[in-house]
Amino acid sequence: MSIREDVKATRAEYFLCARGITKVYGDGTLAVDDVTLDVRPGEILGMLGENGAGKTTLTKMLSGLLPPTRGQVLSPRGIVRFASPREALDFGIGMVHQHFALVGTFTAAENVALGHEHPFSRVRLEQTRSQLEKLIEESGLHVPLDVPVEKLAVGEQQRVEILKVLSRNVSLLILDEPTSVLTPVEVDVLFALLRRLRDAGKSIILITHKLREVSSVTERIVVLRRGRLVGDVTTRSVTRDQLAQLMVGETAAQTVGAAIELAEETQLLGQDEERTGPGILHVTELTVKGDTREVAVRDLSFDVHGGEVFGIAGVEGNGQSELVESLGGLRPAVHGRATIRGVDILGKDPRQIYQLGVAHVPEDRWKLGLVLPFTLAENAILGIQRWKEFCGFLGFLRKRRITAHVRQLMDRFGIQATGPNAPAKSLSGGNQQKLIVGRELAKDPAIIIAAQPTRGLDIGAAQYIRELLVEMRRKGRAILLVSADLDEILALSDRIAIMYEGRFVAIGRPSEFDRARIGLLMGGASVKEAA
Amino acid sequence: MNLSYFWMILILSLQAMVPLVLTAVGEIIGETAGLFNIGLEGILLMSAFTGVMGAQLGGPWVGLLTGMLTGGAISFIFSVITTRFKGSQMIAGIGINLFAIGFVAFGMAARGVSSLPQGKRLFAIQTPVGMGISPIVIVALVVPFIAYYFLKRTRAGLMLKAVGENPEAADVAGIDVLRVRLLATTFGGILAGLAGAYISVSWVGSMTKDISQGRGFIALATVVFSGLNPLLALVGGFIFGFFESLAVWIRNMPALKGIPTQFIAMAPYVVTLLVVAGAIGRVRFPKALGEPYKRE
Amino acid sequence: MRHRRAQTAPARRRTLTGLSPVLESALAGLLGLLVGVVVMAIYGYNPWAAIVALFSGAYGNAAGFANALAKATPLLLTALTFAICVRAGMFNIGAEGQLFMGTLAAVAVSLVTLPPGIGQIARLVLAMVVGALWSLVPALLKVTRGVSEVISTIMFNWIARWLALYLVLNILFDPLRAEKTISIPMSGRLPLLMGKTTLSVGFFVAIAFALVVYFVVWHTVVGYEIRAAGLNPTAAKYGGINSRRTMLLSFTLGGMAAGLAGACYVMGTPPTYSVFAGLPELTNLGFDGMAVAMVGRNHPIGIIFSAIFFGGLNAGGRAMQLRAGVPLDMVRVVNGTIVLAMAIPELIRILPMVKSGVRRMISSVRPRRGADSGDTPGDPDSSTSRGDATQEKERGA
Repeated sequence: MSIREDVKATRAEYFLCARGITKVYGDGTLAVDDVTLDVRPGEILGMLGENGAGKTTLTKMLSGLLPPTRGQVLSPRGIVRFASPREALDFGIGMVHQHFALVGTFTAAENVALGHEHPFSRVRLEQTRSQLEKLIEESGLHVPLDVPVEKLAVGEQQRVEILKVLSRNVSLLILDEPTSVLTPVEVDVLFALLRRLRDAGKSIILITHKLREVSSVTERIVVLRRGRLVGDVTTRSVTRDQLAQLMVGETAAQTVGAAIELAEETQLLGQDEERTGPGILHVTELTVKGDTREVAVRDLSFDVHGGEVFGIAGVEGNGQSELVESLGGLRPAVHGRATIRGVDILGKDPRQIYQLGVAHVPEDRWKLGLVLPFTLAENAILGIQRWKEFCGFLGFLRKRRITAHVRQLMDRFGIQATGPNAPAKSLSGGNQQKLIVGRELAKDPAIIIAAQPTRGLDIGAAQYIRELLVEMRRKGRAILLVSADLDEILALSDRIAIMYEGRFVAIGRPSEFDRARIGLLMGGASVKEAA
Repeated sequence: MNLSYFWMILILSLQAMVPLVLTAVGEIIGETAGLFNIGLEGILLMSAFTGVMGAQLGGPWVGLLTGMLTGGAISFIFSVITTRFKGSQMIAGIGINLFAIGFVAFGMAARGVSSLPQGKRLFAIQTPVGMGISPIVIVALVVPFIAYYFLKRTRAGLMLKAVGENPEAADVAGIDVLRVRLLATTFGGILAGLAGAYISVSWVGSMTKDISQGRGFIALATVVFSGLNPLLALVGGFIFGFFESLAVWIRNMPALKGIPTQFIAMAPYVVTLLVVAGAIGRVRFPKALGEPYKRE
Repeated sequence: MRHRRAQTAPARRRTLTGLSPVLESALAGLLGLLVGVVVMAIYGYNPWAAIVALFSGAYGNAAGFANALAKATPLLLTALTFAICVRAGMFNIGAEGQLFMGTLAAVAVSLVTLPPGIGQIARLVLAMVVGALWSLVPALLKVTRGVSEVISTIMFNWIARWLALYLVLNILFDPLRAEKTISIPMSGRLPLLMGKTTLSVGFFVAIAFALVVYFVVWHTVVGYEIRAAGLNPTAAKYGGINSRRTMLLSFTLGGMAAGLAGACYVMGTPPTYSVFAGLPELTNLGFDGMAVAMVGRNHPIGIIFSAIFFGGLNAGGRAMQLRAGVPLDMVRVVNGTIVLAMAIPELIRILPMVKSGVRRMISSVRPRRGADSGDTPGDPDSSTSRGDATQEKERGA
């Protein structure tokens, strides 16, 4: 049955429908290509797709905030087109973003009240409060109401976001990658809430790239690839492999499938005990404080050897960033010791640490890894600009050598750009990451600290980076891998540690864990509970 | 030191405090909403100038009004440039200062505006010690309290803070970020305009081409000192006003006659530095201060 | 149908060729002159006579051009002060005060007798040192106590002004003419390049300094670190760069430039080779320098050309005052407008925006046609969608 027939049959039962909507941006980019789609009441719709598939653009058009270049978005009341998120909310469409729209210094109650009342009336917080308390009871989203939101944990902050939207009595709730900051237990609570809302007749769109989740909570799934709707299916009728195939297309599907297989069976890329070399990184009782003066890394002790990948799994926000920053010289440690081949690194500045043989691929390539307005050549020497090779008499830069160096990187790692003097911000995410990884590997390091190395990359680029790491492992380098992508950790690591609230709650070989156990450990269950 | 000394010092300090407090409170409102206006000095200068012109035409109240309108207009342009056109606040502020310096000097050379006859100056409230005090001082004492109430206790104050802290959140909540910033800055400019016109029409009674003497920048320092609390701005303004009027009353103190006038004139600026150097660290500014807002 | 990947410029500055920044500066210059014309007209002057006088005075003959270059000299240097620190991510508003101190340092050397050659060098060096120190204190306050350099440099400007006044009247005064300082003796003067003008070797000193700045900031590792820290302090830290060090270095260099500016002025300006109390000739050179820096896009080469342009305006201002009777402060009005115009990013986009804004106003007045959303397909003028596009691509949506 074609989609159009499907729609006609249920015409009276849609909350929104999109008819052949296309979005072409002013500079010619085709973001969404002829999508026809229904949003129905009492249904959880999953929207699946990689980065860049057009999910965000599509949802913006569905919520009326972006006009389609062609086609229309309709509701039974007429055309859907709003001038501001406020109008969309008034209409009944509420969106929970990936990056929260909260005012840090305000409490949860103040944040929820923000959108409600007329500008010059006096603050009637008590009224809002009691309404809010009722809503919390109904939804099960418990959150302290009088603490400044910036002091809350990420999961609690998300609950405030959701409460904000729910308090407006929306009919359509759109959630953009909500589970990336939640523990498995919190995900269950969220999904239970979504099911309750669905039963109450609301429409829900769940945007995600996680196959497992989309299969477990949705009734229907639409798959986007390169702006086109390549699948509109009921959840029950597809397998995860089929979804993966739709998401990435024929050729890459095998790679994804392979990665999923690897994760499922927790196989390693060449598990071999004799191959691991001498200890490179020794960490003893490391304690690091986070930005909010609270302890982020507690008393951590571990080693990483040459020729092994030590993977740290865990939901983001459990101290991984602070751990990496302290090892990279970007954050002071409060207590403990860390050595590279016997030499202390804590308290040293990044340049000294690099000289000891450390390479650091940072988790935020725009904030940390690159100076975006700089050229590729200039970025290629970031961190090593004072090496004798690049900087000579009186500190003059050896431009010819630098250009040669970056050309080498471009060749070796297939970085696509208009030339060594192109600004780094003109590169795609994948090429930017390749530049960073290439630059770090060219230091010929003893250990590579890779934090979220494939985040935001398309499948091809991600796989390439992973293969590079494996190659480094084969050459005897030590690799400390931090990733929120569990599949990636399980597929690449010789040993894994699961990090929760600053501690390693478990260390071992991937074969010793199954997914359920990992999930529980990531959520804070003790080793005994998870056994 | 007898009692009339004390009153004299008090009156002098209060008079000097007025432009600082008014400008600072206006800037507090603007900065709470996220806009940092370094062009306050230029606004003071321009509104002092237009204030005198207005007073010459229609008397002191017209002069004050003209000054307020000038301040409001300049701030309005500033906020349009920085919000609607997402321009750099720093550069726009510097441009305002430069423009004002040139315009006022030019205007004075072209028209020969200088001192106001007694009838065109604002009346002064007579005090028992024989010195007059401007009624605007009362305004300057009251405005901080009104501003404090507005920011802390009204819905609009909450909206202002949200816009300054996290404009995205405010936008999503349905607040028109651009409009709030526009209104806040323009209102701040009106206060600064009143301050400028006060200097020429009420306090000094004449116009010179550098009548503002850096007070716009001292006001910025007052804002820092106040931590965006209008009541503290009143305190800070008084302290700075006190040091400003030092040069005047120190002539009456024989003990300090030896100090050259130039060093006394330096005092307000040195004090500002010391205060700002001491105050930083305990002050928290809105997170989005100084950054233009782009809706995604 | 292809989905074009964001290979090219997701967050590019919307300049298609390298020419566009130059066009923007030119456009700002035009706007400045336009506003100047309007103000002059309002005040009853003949704007066209003024413009003619302005440009012919500045560029019309050799002597005028020489004076333009002379006026450009201090502007070039104070512009460098601002620009170097902007590249380091800071706003150094203190060129004014640093210039005063440099000037007086050069004058103060006259209290000892030095042979020619040494006399000039000593003055230039001391002026640079003093300027650097005056600039360093605010920088240290920023680095140690987090004091806004904007406020501190401005405070130091005023402190410098009063200190200078004190020194001029009480220590460095000319016994024959108390309202000015002692004149720089022959052994300390910079030779004139053209008789009957104020153009001295100082111009070449300024150019030389600008070239040195260029090489240091763009071709040495120190300059690399300064620029990196200015563009992205977090990434710079990751790259092992100490932001505090770069801040201090940039302020030192900037202070040197401003001190040098003052010295070149007083050592190279006939007839008095001195400064008057109140420093009327030196006032606002710091602020003007900022305008020069912005129009020169904060790059030494651009600044050289920009300084010559603004120097021309200043030199021509005198002619304008003489021939058309327009007070030369008008030049600063033009400068201020130029800076305001430069504050708007992508000034060049304003014109199409104004066009579409007018179009929208007209269509909102005309009656609507039908219930459609009213957006034409592929609307290229919509700046919102463009903004979306860049943000989208950055997030890889």
